Amino acid sequence: MNILETKNLYKQYKQGEISVNALSGINIQIPEKAFTALLGPSGSGKSTLLNIFGLIDQPTQGKLYFCGKDITAASEKELTAIRRHQLGFIFQGFNLVPVMTVFDNVEYPLTLLGLDKKTRYERVNLMLDRVGISQFKKHLPDQISGGQKQRVAIARALITKPKLVIADEPTANLDTKTATGIIDLMYQMHQDFGTSFIIATHDERMSSHCHNSYQLHDGVLQ
Amino acid sequence: MKWLKLAIKNVLRNRRRALVTVLITAVGVSAILIGGGFANFTYVSLKEMAARSSGHLIVAHKNYFDKEENTPMEFGLEEYRALAKTLKSDSDVRYAIPRIDFSGLISNGEKSTIFMGSGVDAKYEFKVKGPFLVIESGNVLSKREKEDDPRVMLGTDLAKSLNAKVNDSLTLMSTTVDGGLNAIDVTVQGIFSTGTPEVDKRSIIVNINTAQSLLVTNKVSSIALHLRDTETTFNKYDEFSAQYPELSWETWLDQAFFYTGVKNLYNRIFGLLGLIIAMMVFFSIYNTVNMSVVERTREIGTLRAIGTYASEITRNFILEGLVIGVIGAVTGITIAALTSLGLSLADIQMPPPPGQTNGYPLIIDIPANLYLIAVAMSLFICILAAWLSSYKAAKKPIVGALSHV
Ligand SMILES: Nc1ncnc2c1ncn2[C@@H]1O[C@H](COP(=O)(O)OP(=O)(O)OP(=O)(O)O)[C@@H](O)[C@H]1O
Ligand SMILES: [Mg+2]
Repeated sequence: MNILETKNLYKQYKQGEISVNALSGINIQIPEKAFTALLGPSGSGKSTLLNIFGLIDQPTQGKLYFCGKDITAASEKELTAIRRHQLGFIFQGFNLVPVMTVFDNVEYPLTLLGLDKKTRYERVNLMLDRVGISQFKKHLPDQISGGQKQRVAIARALITKPKLVIADEPTANLDTKTATGIIDLMYQMHQDFGTSFIIATHDERMSSHCHNSYQLHDGVLQ
Repeated sequence: MKWLKLAIKNVLRNRRRALVTVLITAVGVSAILIGGGFANFTYVSLKEMAARSSGHLIVAHKNYFDKEENTPMEFGLEEYRALAKTLKSDSDVRYAIPRIDFSGLISNGEKSTIFMGSGVDAKYEFKVKGPFLVIESGNVLSKREKEDDPRVMLGTDLAKSLNAKVNDSLTLMSTTVDGGLNAIDVTVQGIFSTGTPEVDKRSIIVNINTAQSLLVTNKVSSIALHLRDTETTFNKYDEFSAQYPELSWETWLDQAFFYTGVKNLYNRIFGLLGLIIAMMVFFSIYNTVNMSVVERTREIGTLRAIGTYASEITRNFILEGLVIGVIGAVTGITIAALTSLGLSLADIQMPPPPGQTNGYPLIIDIPANLYLIAVAMSLFICILAAWLSSYKAAKKPIVGALSHV
């Protein structure tokens, strides 16, 4: 079954008189356990599409299915519940909570799930080990490097064992060597957990790992 | 616990701002407590004064309180000795003191002026008046006065206007119960001050016997009941008025016009003050949380994206407001308690209230329920302010929040 599927999806931005079609008739299917790259030049609509996939933005037109269910008209509450249980996010700017330690940042989604302290503790420690930042778990985000921050973010995205992780340019703020490490880590996590990834990137090296890659151009899939 | 810890960490993000807000809340809470404590002390004092001057309960003839008498003592109590004795046997009653209210002219031979007289039972009356009747010169009336040498006590201003001193001789004139005129000569026993010039200008006090012989009656106007505990007043009122329906009953509050007046005035003043303080605290917290919300827009977007409900975001901001509120309230209570303690040691005199001649010590007597009210109020204000300043931001479109810089 497809995790995500779109039918003739449009996204229009109105700026005064002018309206811009950021997406024009997107038909796409994201299967389970897929590692997908979304490529395209700047302004082609990658972020716009990922935001809709991440259920944090609504299309202007067309239909969106999550696990076969039409969620085009779902309420904000329902969408939040899906994000909480089934989705993970990795941002370009890491977006860790600055007052929380590395451990607390990764633990946060489990707290939302209402898991007890012991379970949370075990799962977070395992995950921190897994992404290789155990020794920094008491550190604040400000006290670690960008690559380490993105590892924390990957741990936070995967801690709830989501069906799909959405990553919008996760390596854009990192140097080449660190970026390669992050790409490898995401691929490893995909392999280990069977989580689907959809990654918007300029980074051509990403494609080497990817089962499928899509090219966006002016809001149209090539 | 987790959330509370997070809220504390978030409050501490901007320590200076948090400190200022905590201080404003603390000052607000302590100002309300100190103002309220001062008002309360005033109320308690005035209540005591009112209750001691009128008695906690006053019992009289059925018509005494609502109808005008055509002749003096028309609505007097006849069998008052027996009634007073029965009432006094109640265990909550300390004294049952008969009293005659009368009026007439008082003269020094050259000048006459109107007086308002009280005929009292000297044995108890001066005990219950206590510190609220200040003897300026001479003495209080004696319990055992010679029948051929009736004595009178004058208010200070009346004495001044009659140019009368202790042991001077004066004449009282009044209408008798059958409408005739009667006069008796009296000797000044003492000069007193109640602290209220209006009263001191007209008041005289004589023994009941003196008043009865002036009016040619064997009745009294009323019996004043002094209870052991002021708090029981209204219960005893219900009890007695059910037990003696043929008589008319009033409480000290019905007769305490000064107390009621001051209380209304102070309630308005301190109520307005409280409102201003509440607004000040509200806007301070609103502003603090609002600034925090704006600064953390991207963080709010992130937390929403990874599955936090808008209501949970708002709840966290409310917790932050509460952290500030609780710390502020506790600090405020401490300040107020220390101020109250300090003032009670410092012995500062307040100027007399309106219509009074004597000042009184500045004491802050904060009742326990005022602490509760102040804390509940400040917490409520914190919750409201934090909620109002964050709920909109929590519902804002996530994509917009995420791209906020
Ligand atoms: N909030 C917005 N209001 C108006 N136009 C917008 C808005 N967001 C995006 N756009 C427009 O939509 C188009 C697609 O933008 P989008 O951010 O999806 O591109 P992108 O492929 O992610 O680019 P980049 O590689 O630079 O991140 C662009 O033309 C952009 O200007
Ligand atoms: Mg983009």
